[in-house]
Amino acid sequence: MNKGLVSGLVLLSLGLLCGILLSVVNHFTAPKIKEVEDAIKYEALSGFYTLADYDISEVEGTGDFGTIFILNAKGTEDIQAIVYTVRAQGYSDSQKVEMLIAVNSDLSVENYQVVSHSETTGFGADIVDNDFNVLKIDDLSGFDAVAGVTKTSNAIKACFTLVSERIAADLGGGLSE
Amino acid sequence: MNKKDNFVKGLIKENPLFVSLLGMCPSLAVTTSLENAIGMTLGVFFVLVLSNLIISLIMNNKKLAELVKPVRIPVYIVVIATLVTIVEMVMHAYLPSLYFSLGVFIPLIVVNCIILGRAEAFASENKPVDSLIDGAGMALGYGAAIMLISIFREFLGKGTLTIWGDLQINLAFIFNFLKIEPIAMFVQPVGAFLTFGLILAAITAISNNYQNKLAKEVKNNG
Repeated sequence: MNKGLVSGLVLLSLGLLCGILLSVVNHFTAPKIKEVEDAIKYEALSGFYTLADYDISEVEGTGDFGTIFILNAKGTEDIQAIVYTVRAQGYSDSQKVEMLIAVNSDLSVENYQVVSHSETTGFGADIVDNDFNVLKIDDLSGFDAVAGVTKTSNAIKACFTLVSERIAADLGGGLSE
Repeated sequence: MNKKDNFVKGLIKENPLFVSLLGMCPSLAVTTSLENAIGMTLGVFFVLVLSNLIISLIMNNKKLAELVKPVRIPVYIVVIATLVTIVEMVMHAYLPSLYFSLGVFIPLIVVNCIILGRAEAFASENKPVDSLIDGAGMALGYGAAIMLISIFREFLGKGTLTIWGDLQINLAFIFNFLKIEPIAMFVQPVGAFLTFGLILAAITAISNNYQNKLAKEVKNNG
């Protein structure tokens, strides 16, 4: 058999072996990673609202949306706010920027937090601490990017845009359908 | 070369960072705190030791080595990338604060010249046990180097030494005694280059001094 082909098959076999090994490791670490990420999200959520004042339900989003938290006034069906977990492509191909964006029923942005990014420590701190100047979700004209962190800033703007495109439908009951 | 020399060479004589000047980019970026340096050392140790062992096992099998030789670099990369991905997943699951602190520099261990360099220069031509020892020595040498840089940078830049999590030594009293503030520049990129340069200069001076002494002794003894 062609020597080059055999070498290629050896490489392919090694790749498959490594893939199996990684899937085994992933089987053990994935639940723990989800736990860690959920803990970060709930910590951020408690910084946005007094959670005891609301009935909170969760909906698993599709596409670029992760968990969506719906905050109803205690004992009612009135949606007071929606907190989106949303992702967009940032600096690294392997890791998207993930954000929590909390929007009140009057479309004002209550708060937001960058949950994960792939920037270096210094730029990462700039991104996490930055005020992006988004007060209303339907008006992103005043968006303030971070100088020198263009790709991640664009990803953050994309996150806000994704939320603004669906918020009206979700507040109108789109999430429960 | 005996096993002891094989291990020790990575610590001083062939230190990957201070002598070979390999893997400088992530080293300078993560040395803002001692904790980061310790975390990076653990990651590099795991990857370097196991990649050296696996690659040596592959290349010591004559039949397999013949097949792998034309595609050896992709094979090395597959092995190294797998190990780095394991480190990344485990760190994300069990050491999340360190994972977020090291950020993009964990996956970048894949392209760290030290690891690929040892695979090609040593592990592919030596026995598995020797390769394992070489990997351990090099990883510890690299770890010692980045920890030394981080000690200087964190102490001078923040007045603290963060060993792990909440375990922190507060050395601010030294700055208070001198009536100055910590020099924040040292935790910035410029501080990394400055610290690295000063340590390299000190090492070169010590090494030159030692060599001059040795030359004088040889001359005196005829």
